[in-house]
Amino acid sequence: MKKEIKIITKNWGQINPQKIEDYLAVGGYQALQKFVQSLTPQSALEEIKTSGLCGRGGAGFPTGLKLESVQKETSKEKYFICNLDESEPGAYKDRSIVDGDPHMLLEGIIISSLIVGARKAYIYINGNYQKQAEILQRAVEQARDKNFLGENILDSKYNLEIEIFAGAGAYICGEETALINSIEGKRGEPRLRPPFPTQVGLFGQPTAVNNAETSTNIPWIIMNGGAAYAGIGSKKSPGTKLFILDGAVENPGVVEAPLGISLEDLIEKYAGGIQKGKEFWFAQIGGSSGRLALQEDLKIKMEYDREAKIPLGSGAILVVDKTVDIHEILLSWTGFFRRESCGKCVPCREGTFRLWEIAKRLQDGEISERDVSAIRDILWTLNSTTFCPFGKFAATAFSDALQNFSKEIYKLSK
Amino acid sequence: MQTVEKILLDFNPELKNLLPALKRIGAGFGYVGEKEAQKVADYFSVPLSKVFETASFYDLVKIKKQPSLLIQICSGSNCATKNAYRVICEIETQLHIKAGDDFNSKAKLEVISCLGQCGNGPVMIVNGNVFTKVTPDSVDDILRNYI
Repeated sequence: MKKEIKIITKNWGQINPQKIEDYLAVGGYQALQKFVQSLTPQSALEEIKTSGLCGRGGAGFPTGLKLESVQKETSKEKYFICNLDESEPGAYKDRSIVDGDPHMLLEGIIISSLIVGARKAYIYINGNYQKQAEILQRAVEQARDKNFLGENILDSKYNLEIEIFAGAGAYICGEETALINSIEGKRGEPRLRPPFPTQVGLFGQPTAVNNAETSTNIPWIIMNGGAAYAGIGSKKSPGTKLFILDGAVENPGVVEAPLGISLEDLIEKYAGGIQKGKEFWFAQIGGSSGRLALQEDLKIKMEYDREAKIPLGSGAILVVDKTVDIHEILLSWTGFFRRESCGKCVPCREGTFRLWEIAKRLQDGEISERDVSAIRDILWTLNSTTFCPFGKFAATAFSDALQNFSKEIYKLSK
Repeated sequence: MQTVEKILLDFNPELKNLLPALKRIGAGFGYVGEKEAQKVADYFSVPLSKVFETASFYDLVKIKKQPSLLIQICSGSNCATKNAYRVICEIETQLHIKAGDDFNSKAKLEVISCLGQCGNGPVMIVNGNVFTKVTPDSVDDILRNYI
């Protein structure tokens, strides 16, 4: 195998994540120095726009455009938020970043904040990641001691404070407007858009919310230039991406691969192939809200593309083999969305609940004619009428499963 | 002794500290009841309803007294493909409780969402202690220490 380009994972396992000295020894915080000494927020933003970097949280929105819309706001107070509220089932890439190299993430957050002109940044971390919150807290203190944070960063005019805000176990708080509500002490329910958070965000001020993995790419782009980054991986969405492979594969775990790689290559080359004695059935791309890839989709390219048949989402890939009972997976999906629906809008609150009830009946083998026709109605309602994309997510995998495995689903095993 | 007042003094009465304060009180007392919530409301100068509005939304803030045995098990799709539902069944049979039921004051089985430990699934938390790679057979051994 030829030498792979590693951006995010290059220091994982090589350095002690708790020591800033280790990160400095491998060239850490040089991007910040370069930014402070020889770049302006505008020229740094140009590099990010050239790089073609897009959001790694799932939606794939171009990072440069988002930062630009906050940068050009004239408000005095601006905020940068790093979204580390990772709670998609099957996704633990952001947690791995903190475990492996928290300072690279921190450097990315600092540079991004300075680019948009924020003097205060928040890291919104999943409430269950207590150990990771401690690691980050220590990293922030170390960075402050070295003057990478605080007032007059590296003797420049820049000031920045970073605060770590731990969530309290709500999936929907990964949605940026819900996340903002949560920091403001409200229920984590999504807000109506527009106005977009880039104009009216946290405490009513312009706010950029970027995923942790997105931010971790920033130091490399500043050091090596946007053009170099644009040359990696796929044309539509350049760069590398963390993929989380799990399920019936030999070596489950987090891997870094260039975007544009095929699903087959990911499973074969990075995860050691399908477990011995098991047979590939389907893979779910992007966690519980992701679509299903069948045998014939194995050649599909993994990249961010608005027209893609199978969106990449968070990069979680669950490989399911034929020994798994489809009813249990349906129950898992629907149960998850029922629990995590925030309850703000009726179609989602009721739809996810009814779908879960039907999934339970499917498992118990008590499905009625009425249920079968109701499923279609519920899926349509979830897909078309909910306030935020959560409802659409709740319907996606279920519809895919129904379309492809209706025989298995309606075959009543018990 | 730990009191709600003492905990609150660690926080500035700004709304962004409301959720962290509720979490800390919940961790210290097991749950945020009406008495505690009223003190929080006074401290932050917001109505009691506003405190409950926030507190009732989040999984990690409890507003009811919790049973002495709280079993939480992840049912994310990754854990589900690794027999999490058979583990749930096993616990239900052993303890004579149903997942999600609030009726038993001594024991509660809660199905929860992903904890980001998918590589080690199924994941089970018993009174705050995390157990990984749980199987229907290992349930008995784990629960024995708590009953």
